[in-house]
Order: sequence, then structure tokens, then C-alpha cells
Amino acid sequence: MPKVQFIDPSLARKASEITFKPIPVNQYAKTIAQEKDNFSNDDLVRIYHDMVVIREFETMLNLIKTTGEYSGVPYDHPGPAHLSAGQEAAAVGMAYLLDVEDFIFGSHRSHGEILAKGLSAIQKLSDADLMQIMETFFNGTVLNVVKKDFKGTTKELGRRFLIYGTLAEIFARETGFNKGLGGSMHAFFTPFGVYPNNAIVGGSGDISVGAALYKKVNRKPGMVVANIGDASMACGPVWEGLSFASMDQFNELWEGDMKGGLPVIFNVMNNQYGMGGQTCGETMGFGKVARIGAGVNPDQMHAERVDGYNPLAVIDAYRRKRKLIEEKKGPILLEVLTYRYSGHSPSDASSYRSKEEIEAWQAQDSIATFGHNIVAEKITTQQELDSIWAGIKEIMVEMLKLSINDEVSPRMDIKQRPEQIGEMIFSNQSVDKMDDRVPEVNHPMEENPRVIQISKKERFAFDAEGKPFSKMKQYQLRDGIFDAIVDRFYKDPTLIAYGEENRDWGGAFAVYRGLTEALPYNRLFNSPISEASIIGTAIGYAMCGGRVIPEIMYCDFLGRCGDEVFNQLPKWQAMSGNMLKMPVVMRVSVGSKYGAQHSQDWTSLVAHIPGLKVVFPVTPYDAKGLMNSALQGTDPVIFFESQRVYDIGEQFHKVGVPEGYYEIPFGESDIKKEGKDITILTIGATLYRALDAAKILEEKYNMSAEVIDARSLVPFNYEQVIASVKKTGRIIISGDATSRGSFLNELARNITELAFDYLDAPPVVVGSRNWITPAYELEEAFFPQPDWFIDAIHEKIVPLKGHISNQNFSDSEQIRRAKLGV
Amino acid sequence: MAVVVIMPKQGQSVESCIITEWNKNKGDQVKKGEILFAYETDKASFEEEASADGVLLAVFYNTGDEVPVLTNVCVIGEPGESTDAFAPSGSSSVKTEAPEVTATSTKEEVPAEIVATESSNSSSSEAVSPRARILADEEGINLNSVRGSGPNGRIIEQDIQAILAKQPKSTPLAKKKAGQEHLQGSTIGSGLGGSITSKDLTQQNQVSGTDFEIKKLSNIRKLIAKAMHQSLQNSAQLTHHLGADARRMLEWRRKIKKATDGGYPVNITINDMVCYSVIKALKQYPQVNAHFLGDSVKYFNNISLGIAVDTDRGLMVPAIRNAGNLTIQELSNNMRDIAAACRKGAIDPELLSSEAASFTVSNLGNYGVEMFTPVINLPQVGILGVNTIVPRPKDLGDGAYGFVPYIGLSLTYDHQALDGGEATRFLKQIATEIENLDFEL
Repeated sequence: MPKVQFIDPSLARKASEITFKPIPVNQYAKTIAQEKDNFSNDDLVRIYHDMVVIREFETMLNLIKTTGEYSGVPYDHPGPAHLSAGQEAAAVGMAYLLDVEDFIFGSHRSHGEILAKGLSAIQKLSDADLMQIMETFFNGTVLNVVKKDFKGTTKELGRRFLIYGTLAEIFARETGFNKGLGGSMHAFFTPFGVYPNNAIVGGSGDISVGAALYKKVNRKPGMVVANIGDASMACGPVWEGLSFASMDQFNELWEGDMKGGLPVIFNVMNNQYGMGGQTCGETMGFGKVARIGAGVNPDQMHAERVDGYNPLAVIDAYRRKRKLIEEKKGPILLEVLTYRYSGHSPSDASSYRSKEEIEAWQAQDSIATFGHNIVAEKITTQQELDSIWAGIKEIMVEMLKLSINDEVSPRMDIKQRPEQIGEMIFSNQSVDKMDDRVPEVNHPMEENPRVIQISKKERFAFDAEGKPFSKMKQYQLRDGIFDAIVDRFYKDPTLIAYGEENRDWGGAFAVYRGLTEALPYNRLFNSPISEASIIGTAIGYAMCGGRVIPEIMYCDFLGRCGDEVFNQLPKWQAMSGNMLKMPVVMRVSVGSKYGAQHSQDWTSLVAHIPGLKVVFPVTPYDAKGLMNSALQGTDPVIFFESQRVYDIGEQFHKVGVPEGYYEIPFGESDIKKEGKDITILTIGATLYRALDAAKILEEKYNMSAEVIDARSLVPFNYEQVIASVKKTGRIIISGDATSRGSFLNELARNITELAFDYLDAPPVVVGSRNWITPAYELEEAFFPQPDWFIDAIHEKIVPLKGHISNQNFSDSEQIRRAKLGV
Repeated sequence: MAVVVIMPKQGQSVESCIITEWNKNKGDQVKKGEILFAYETDKASFEEEASADGVLLAVFYNTGDEVPVLTNVCVIGEPGESTDAFAPSGSSSVKTEAPEVTATSTKEEVPAEIVATESSNSSSSEAVSPRARILADEEGINLNSVRGSGPNGRIIEQDIQAILAKQPKSTPLAKKKAGQEHLQGSTIGSGLGGSITSKDLTQQNQVSGTDFEIKKLSNIRKLIAKAMHQSLQNSAQLTHHLGADARRMLEWRRKIKKATDGGYPVNITINDMVCYSVIKALKQYPQVNAHFLGDSVKYFNNISLGIAVDTDRGLMVPAIRNAGNLTIQELSNNMRDIAAACRKGAIDPELLSSEAASFTVSNLGNYGVEMFTPVINLPQVGILGVNTIVPRPKDLGDGAYGFVPYIGLSLTYDHQALDGGEATRFLKQIATEIENLDFEL
């Protein structure tokens, strides 16, 4: 795309071959004696200690799940427990060198990583900083439980805090790290650099890339480690994360200190199984995960396999990889070989592997081997190690007792405060900018060519005589969106935007035209055509504290980022107990004219998912005001735009679209035309067809229609619509979504309930047919047309004199279509 | 040969472009590949290159002009060539007309006509929209009388509004009060323009609240109710009223009183005397002593006189059979016995059938009733109501007027069977019989 990069056909067509460098496998061969310069005796003992904490923690949970008790303390834990006993050296080795500001992301099997990274952070934090974190976290709620009657050091207190906070979270206690809303598979604690663990396999594969992007773009210290499993290497979103992370532009196009790779390590914890599927030999073909690096970029992602049964081998790899990250040579792929002793979950009978195999790995157990080695090297004695283990056991029993005590570790009191979870679904904050720096831009806003061009446009569509200005001269809907976005780019230094063809081209529908001139690459760039990575990285970016506008070029591509939109984006604010904010404004363009896979209105799909705000403005005034609100907020917003109306001028707001900043609150519908005989409520660009219908009704049938534009789907305030229905007694709800299961029906149901006594006929839904979207030339048979409204009124609401219907809205036809499923 | 340069069509939806800059002026030499002008759509900027060498002979649009796509913009050629043929009609000098927007004229408010679909005509649906139901309730309109004009015959708001439009308007207070207290307005109110005010409201249902009990009808009540209702529904009843001089009857009554005091066995009452007179009149008017059977009339040879008897259990009308053959003494005794049997509940049910009597007398005179309209026991063709005796002024001759006791007679007859003249003559005959009453003690 960029003109500076010339694709020379002579070079491109020249014969040559792709060569690969050898990928190291288990090359670490140092003895403890050889590592003495790198580790003090205390360091080595601490490595042992940290591994034992994980082993004992997982053993405790395993015993609770399988025998109902641990050390004589009975407890029933009905929730999940995906344990990592056997993988301790991999976790501790990964976390050992990481600083507090290095972030890790994990999987469903990440208890070990939480503990390892937490213990590492506690070790590196000063006592004062550690104490401050503990005291301020949820106003000291977690700390208060573990510090009662405790007399030890701050670091010892920190370890109790870590174990208790994690355990209480697993047991869904309000005193857990995420108020019990995350649980075993999602627990995390950002002050220690532990970012969300993810119960969707490979879920962290693209989110962590977004976190690395945040660190890079905002010049934040530290790197990001994505702890994902060997089986996740088959997942599309993981590949998309790899592709996004290895884009050439970081080195080729980004300028100044921004030049260089993303600070991210894909740390693949290869425990050899994806649930029961054996990745080497059965379900995958890579043999060794590290091989994948060779296919991703010329650096081969600096991939290697290290022996995750030896903590020092893993630490050694991290020492080398960290240097590469500092040299901006990311992304890095690290395969850490390990093995899990327990099943996938306690219900797993391990029918897919032999007892001999488990015993063979246990015979080389990482903790036992490492303990044996440091005793042999006289770093410590077996007695000391035994007493460490006994001490950890003691703490576990104590923390278990605390975490299952309903008085000190209560669950959320849903009876007392029934809306408590509801209050966490959105953060609903109003924040000008997510950071205080001066925003990086290329020139003052008033010098921007697009800003200048827009300033000459007519901000209301009609002149004083009511004649429309020519389309080119009207301030268009795309200008309204641009206005709000460019304004925020000059306000919020963290704001970035990306998607397909966003830079240079200015977006496929020219919304971003002019932005390329205004912004450096690190604030506006083109992504690969991979929607999962576009949204997944945006989630990671926002989670770390940035504001971001990812773009999905066609609504129909939403399926390509299904997990990101349905499972990740909406969930993390509430699942973090409101620790995280998610200021992601996801622009989604709804097509037409382009057939079955480029013309669908899928607003209903996202409106169905709790945790997303959904708006669909179709006038320049509404687009600018709602985009301003979206960018001022801290919640994920799915911002729908219609390709039918990017060029439409403002026809309703008579004083024209204001030049200054203004917000339109989410959830408020807008009356575009007043009337008294029937209400028409629309979602999206259907508004204009409804207005055409209103004109026909007025001229031919002497019926005055009130036309209301929903503007928002989530949230939605019904009051104005109900007031209108009380006046008219009749309502049609219309939009371009295929009508079965659409949000139109949700509106109809609520209106029926809320205005039942005022209704003169059932609310009628006029949506698209439950077909594929046909070719443009046949669209009139598919999308609601003005005459459909008249037909629906005639057949379902009030017969109109002399009207002959073309569309069949009869009850029998409704039943027939439902029977056939069309 | 002159080469014309047109505004290219940059994309399917582009209708026009704006020229942002001219790099060449009219008269300039241009070379193939040199940029002539820059232009933009609402999405992007472009540059137009010269497609031939030559002189820029004509420029039809200036910087800032909006040019419809595929329109001629300029001409390149040899000096001296004419370019007139290429000048577009809508170039800078000629303004393109923006499409006209019809101003919406203010229309007179005319209520939409109510239209019924075919289905609503044929359907017997009883569906009512919630809105229509509540409006009807508020305005006190009975939905049974409303014909629905909505889909499938559903009664919708406009049907109620149509009825309301025909009724006088109510004041807001009257509406509110009517709704709250279940009152209804008269057809014409006392307010402005005949609107119904709160004062015009009457009780829709006086029996309200919880202070009542519901009792099942007794069988006799059911029979009476059915008979009376059917009578009024299935015949053409009307009533004539007439008075008879009662002096002679009262004289007889005094004589009888005296005689009974002296041991005479039969206490002949005024009612007995009236019935005796009725029997006599009936003999002269057989068309009244009959049953009307719709397409035929049944005339009776004898007289079977029904007499209305008030009992605890309700009204009973037993028949006196063969009344035409009875002396007044026999009639009196018969009537007394039969009334007693009714009150005791010992009456032969055969005699109670409305078909058992050929004519009926109902006497309310004892209660002081001065005039009433008795209801015929179908299929009989008439019934006589006997009223109380009241003094009335009468011309006594020679310009002298005096008060004379008159007994009121109210004859209800079925106009299907009798005409007014016959009925009147029959009634007059009863009066004559009363006024000339004679019998032997």
C-alpha cells in the first residue's frame, strides 16, 4: 500500500530460495556450578521455594476436588480446577527474570504462572511499594484478611496475600483478586503484572500482542509474555496474533524510536496435550512448536525449544530473549517443554496416556531433581528444603482455612445488593484522555487538509429555500465521524486507530481521509486482514490503559472476530471486578449492494451480548455526537455505520452540525419527524425509507406518522418511544437486520409489555427477509422498502382505503414462513 | 484534432467531483502525461493527466467548481481549432439546478376515513385492541354495539372514536367523573353547545359496591319473567283508558253489605261485579274472548276468565272456567275459593296456564292505582286493568255539575288481533254493563 515501497517486478520474479537457520532445541547444558555467577545461594533456594508453592497449591486443589479435603480441612469446590502440577519449573523459570512492569497473560491452566509471577514481583518490589499495593487494592480488603495477627516480614505478608487472593478468587469469594467474578480460569492481579488468564484456548494469543502494542506506542517500560498452550497453536486467533506481531511495518515504516519489533514473547507451555489430544503425533504436525517460528518472519521469531523441566534452562532463555526484546527484535517464540501430572481437569481419567508415561516424567520431576542438584552442590541441605516445604504446607492450610471461612471471606451478597454484578458490566466513566502526555501529531489540527475541506461544507443539507445543497458540498456523515475522531486524536495521546486500509487509503469509505497526514504510523496504521487480531489486540491495548478505535470493514466480518467480540471485549471489565477499563470503540460498517456476505446488519448479534454498548447513528449530527460520547467513555462500544449513508447530509438538525464538541448520550432515541397516528421506530439507515413511507402515508392516506430513530440499541431508554405509542397507539419497528431473532423483536416485546393498554394493534416488526442478501438489483425484495410499511399497516394495524398490498403480512403467511424457516 | 478531457467517473456512486486546482491555464502548451488539474470526490483526491500534446484551448470549469462526472472539462488541440462544440451546458456560466424540494403544504385536518377490509366484513371476530377497550370503558361505550374495522374485524380505537364523534362532547370534569363513578351522560347535555357536564351524569348502575346479595330466581319468577318478556316482545300491545260511573255499583255494594250483615251468604265485591260485567260484555264481543295464534285466531264458545292474584310467591292468574254460565253469586264464590287456593299453593296448575283463560282481569283498584297498562297473557288478545274509584265532575244536566264516583278501566289489547275501534267499543260495553248492573239477591 505505501507508495514509498516499490514492488519491483524484476526482483519479485527472480529465482531464489528461502533458507532457514537451525532452530535450537534443549541446547542449555550448564551445571549449577557453572551458573554460580548468575545466582546466589538464596536465589537458587528461592527458585526451589517458588516451585514448591505452586506444587503444594495445585496439590491442595487436587485433593479438595478428588477427596474433599486437604490436611484434614474439608471443603467442597464445585468450580473448575485446571491444574499444572509438573509444570512448576516452566512457570518459575518464565517469571524469574521478569520485572514488575513486565506483563504476563495466561490460559485456563495458569495458577502456577500467577503464583510464579506474583512471587517474582514480591521479591523485586521494595517493601514500601509492596505494602502500598496491598493497602490500596480494593481498599485493603484482601490485605486485612491475611495481616490479622500476622507478625512476619512484609515479603512474607506479600506471599500470604498472593496465595490467599488467588485461592479466594478460585473459590468465588468477594475477597478474591477479582471479587470472585473471574474464578480459577481467569484470575489475575495486575499490580504484580499478572494480566488476565483466559479460559478460551489461545485467547491470550492476540490480546497479549495488543498489550505489547500499548507498551510500544506509549513508550511504557517492560515486555509482555503470552503464556499459551501447545494446543492453542492451531487456533486462528493465535496465528492472527503472530501475524500482527510480526508486521514488517514496525521495522520498515514506523519512524524514529518507534522503529522496531513488538516487545512480546509467545511463551508456549508445551505440556504435550490439548485436553486429551496429543499435539506431537496426533492432533498437530509441527513436531516441535518452535518450528512454527520459521514460518512467521525472516527472524524465525528467534524461536527455540527449552527444557521446561529445568528452571535454570528457562531462566537462561529469558536472559537471552530479554536482550532481544530490548534491541526491539520481537516478537519471540519460545517453546517451553513440560508435562502435567494431573489430568486436564479432575474429571479426566487420563485414558489417552499410559501410567508408564506419567511415571517416567515424574521420575524426572523438576522439583525433586532441582532440589537434589542444589543439595549436591551444597547450596543448601535437604533438611532446609524439607522445612521450606513444611512451612509452605502450613501457610497453605492457614490460607485455605481463611479463604473458606464465610465470615472473613464472604461471597458477594447478591441478596443484599442484587444489582452488584449489573453495576460492574459497564464502567460508565467520562474521561477526556487516558494519559497526560502531549499527543503526537504531524501538524496543528487547523492545518489538516480534511479539516480545512470540511470547514467549507454546508452543515445543514438544505438552503434557506429548502433546496438541498449538492452532495459534495454537504457536511456528510463520514465528516461527522471524522470530526469526532480527529478531535480525540488531538486530545488523548493514547488514542490509536487501525484496521484494514486505514492509513493512506483513509478507510475503504473515506472516513479517515486526512488522518494519514495528521498522524504518525504508531497512531494510525494498516493491520493485516485478520479481524481477530484487530479486535484482540485492541482489547489488550485498552486493558493496559489505552484508548483505541479498531475498525471492521464490513459487518459481515464480525464472525471472523467472534471470540474477541463475544467472549473477550464485553467480559473483562466485570470479570476483573471493575479493575480494568475497556475504552474500545469498534467501528463496524454495514454494507449493501454487495450480496450475501457483505450486506448484513448484525447489530442484533452484539446487542445480545451483555457488556457491549451498541449504537447505530445515521445522520451526521448523531454520528459526531455519539462518536464523541463513545470516545469520552471507558466502555467497549460497537459503533455501527451504514454504507448507504456515508455521504448523507444533515437533514434534521436545522442549525447544522455544530463545529464544536458536543456529546449525544447513549440510549436516547430521537424523533426525526413528529406525527400522531402511527409511530415508526427504526434502527440504522432504514430511517430514510421509513420517512419515505411517512410521506406516502401523509399524502395518500392522510395518516401522520411519527418517525423515531433508535440511534442506540444498548443501552436503550424506552420512555420516549412509550410516550409516542401512548399518543398513537400503533407502532412499526423496522431495521435492515433479518427479522428472525433480531433486536427489532426485543424492542417489540418490551413495547408490548410497557404500553400494552395503549396499543391499538400489536407492534409490527418490518425487518429483512430471512434469506441470504441477494444481489443489489434484487435487494428490494429483501430489505424493508417504503411500501412495506404501508402494506404492514394495512394488513396488521388498520386497513387503508383503496390500498392494495404487495407484501404479504397476513397471519397465515407469518405461520407459513416460520414453518419453512424462511 | 481537438481532444476533449472529461471528468472521470471515480467509482460507482460518484456523481460529481470538485476541481481543487488547475495546473495549466487556457492557452498553455501541454504535454502528454502532464497534470492538467486536480479534483476530489467525497472520498479521495485525484489528478488528471493530459492525454495528448497540444494547447489547452478551452477550460469550462474553474477551481472550486463541482463538475458532474463524464462532463467535458477542457479541450486540448491545435491553436485556432473551434471548441464550441465541446462546451457543456452546465459549465461555470450556467448553474446546475438543484433538484426541487416540494414544500410540505399545511393540510386541513380531516379524520381518516374508516375502511373495512374484506376479511373484517366476513369475520365474526370479537377481538378488541387494548387501547380501544380502555377508551370504550372510559367513555362508557358498550363494545357489543361496536363493529370492528381493524384487521380481521378487530375493534380498534378509530371505531370508538367514530361513535364518540356522534355523541355530544363531555366536559373534562364530566369525563373524569363518569370514568371514576361509572356514570353516564344523557344524550344532550346542559353545557355549552349541548356538551355533557358533570351535572348531567346519571347513575349507570345504582346498585354498586359490595352491599348486595345475589339470589337465584324461583321457578315461578322465571316463568313470569319469561311470559311477561315474551308478551311484550311478541305482540303489538296498547292500552285504552276509560271511566265508568260507579254509583250503581256502589249502591249494590251497600245493599249487599246490609244483606250480609243480615246473614246473606255471599259477599259480592266490587271486583266480582266488574268481572260479572266483563263476562257480559265478552258475550257481546266474541272477538275479544279469543287467542291470537299468529296466522289464525281461536274463538271460544264459553268464557274462561283469568283473574290476577297477588301471592307471596308472585303473581298468579288462575282461570274461572265456564264463567259465562255463572250467576254473580257463583262467580263470587268461585273467585274467592280459587284465590285462596292460589295463596295456599293448592291451585290446580292446569288453571294457571295462560292458555287456560280466554280473557283476564287484573284489579289494582284496592291499592289506589288510578291508571296502568297491564300486560297481556299471550295468546289472549286482551286484559282489563281495573283501577280505583275516584270522584270526577259530571254534567248532571241543566247546567249543574257534581262529583260522581268513577271507576277507571284500562284495556290492553293486541293490535294484531283487534283494531282500536273494536277494542274501544268493547271497553265502552264493559262500562255500560257496570253502569247498568242488575242481578237478584
